[in-house]
Amino acid sequence: MRRQIEIGILYSRQGSYALMSEACYTGAMNAIAQVNSDPQMNVELIAIERDPKCSIDLYQPLCAEILRETSARHVVGCMTSWSRKEVIPGLERAGGTLWYATPYEGFEASDHVVYTHACPNQHLVPLLQWAFDKFGKSAYLTGSNYIWGWEMNRVARDVVSHARGEVLGERYLPIGDTDVAHMIDEIRASRPNFIINSLIGSSSYAFLRAYAALGQQDPHFRPDTCPVLSCNLTEAELEELGQEAEGLIAAGPYFRGEAGWPNHPEQSFGSSLEASAFFAVYTLAGLLSRNSGAETAGLSELLRSPEAASAGIDAETHHTALPVLIAQVRGGKFNVLERWEGVSADPYLSRRSCAPQMQRPNLTVVK
Amino acid sequence: MKKRLHIPSLGGAKAVILHRPHATVQALGRQLAAIGLEYWDQWPDLTADALGTDFVFFDADMGHDAQFPWEPGEAPMPMIALIGSEAPGRIEWALVQGSDTQLHKPIGDGGVYSALLIARHAFEARRSLAIEISDLRARLDERQTVVRAVTLLATRGQTEAQAYAQLRHVAMAWQVTIEQAAQRIVARMAEETGQETGEDDGGRDDQSKRS
Repeated sequence: MRRQIEIGILYSRQGSYALMSEACYTGAMNAIAQVNSDPQMNVELIAIERDPKCSIDLYQPLCAEILRETSARHVVGCMTSWSRKEVIPGLERAGGTLWYATPYEGFEASDHVVYTHACPNQHLVPLLQWAFDKFGKSAYLTGSNYIWGWEMNRVARDVVSHARGEVLGERYLPIGDTDVAHMIDEIRASRPNFIINSLIGSSSYAFLRAYAALGQQDPHFRPDTCPVLSCNLTEAELEELGQEAEGLIAAGPYFRGEAGWPNHPEQSFGSSLEASAFFAVYTLAGLLSRNSGAETAGLSELLRSPEAASAGIDAETHHTALPVLIAQVRGGKFNVLERWEGVSADPYLSRRSCAPQMQRPNLTVVK
Repeated sequence: MKKRLHIPSLGGAKAVILHRPHATVQALGRQLAAIGLEYWDQWPDLTADALGTDFVFFDADMGHDAQFPWEPGEAPMPMIALIGSEAPGRIEWALVQGSDTQLHKPIGDGGVYSALLIARHAFEARRSLAIEISDLRARLDERQTVVRAVTLLATRGQTEAQAYAQLRHVAMAWQVTIEQAAQRIVARMAEETGQETGEDDGGRDDQSKRS
């Protein structure tokens, strides 16, 4: 008889960044379906769904509600770092765990969170170093006005200045704000070599459209000479962007059509967000399936098991070793330009210098 | 533009936890390891190995002066107090030890990274202030020498204001402090008049000849 285990699903299904969180939702729900139909699994997962609607003040109450009113101890969810930081104190009080499947800015290793997407040494740092070689070292930094944008740009500043490059400007927009004219004016005036886009959702779409229009006016601002680079752009948003997405460059652990998500090399996913949330649920199910007491076991105990290690989850940092891919949108899909395999997470950027050199021997050029 | 905090690379830094074996040590240790530090714990006393560490976490609840291989307040690295009981006497003791910041027990989910950065920043600020203060004290101690140098220069037909201006010029030309210039002038003029000053030093003669 399979054990029935409730797990929380806390993804926004409407609101400014719903396209991204919908991708995670799909991955999580697909994993639940796959687990439940897998005869090897000793558990049946029951989704307890809550929709915070991209409203920051709903995450903590809804997460608390899951932990209070159901038997779920594991919650898969949260998109922004802001929402993640909102729910952590409640998880700590209730002994719950968040499986967080989104790229984030690092500098965290919570006892109550498992991080299944990339942190800066797995996205921003390799992306910058790749861009220095290809385009130059003067950067313009944009971001949404919360911790993701601030800390990404802080790390970018450190890496750029360490490489003796230059940051020509840095601008932020509140989440949901689409008034990008000021950024575009500054970019037009400062003529950087590339732009780091850490805007999210509708702000990001407005910026990318305005920047594509700028490229129509002035050929410097086209992908060959001044591309827009981001660490959170995935297939989930390509359709929304349409033609304006052409030439955008992104770093991520997976792009559609590629193999190589840890433990699921054969599986195909719509995006890295979907893959990461799928991996989170599937790995969790595997850990819970092993022994009958696992649903009440603490996270540190679960992560000490060999299954967690073989999935690539580090018991110390709770982060996941992942491939690092750099890809460009061409003809409506991501084309991988470079990839590195099995890059361990270094959430505090402390295991190497602030501007780590990627291991060149691992580098393979993808044609 | 406001000054940006320099974020030191903490990878490979060493920390010692002065605490009896306890869940506090485990919780703290996990966070230290995640950040990338090497750490170990000791109790009841810190051995000389602790002198080679970059951070000391110490128990403010059960701690006492004799646990440390240095005098209270003279730790050569940042110190972070682990405070359980917020009793005034214990906080006072932690401050006397030179605590640069604190973590509250039980150690929860976070706080260690900010404690490391704040403690290092406070320690470095304290150390550079101490160096500046000792430099200023040394200069204060030389006030009498400055007065003597001005008086000696003024005996050569200058007013006191002119003599002081000359002393400043000479100090600038020699690229030394006014106090050091005054020492040299006093010593040289003492030699010229055959007096003992007891403040001779070799480098000074070379410098004053060059000037």
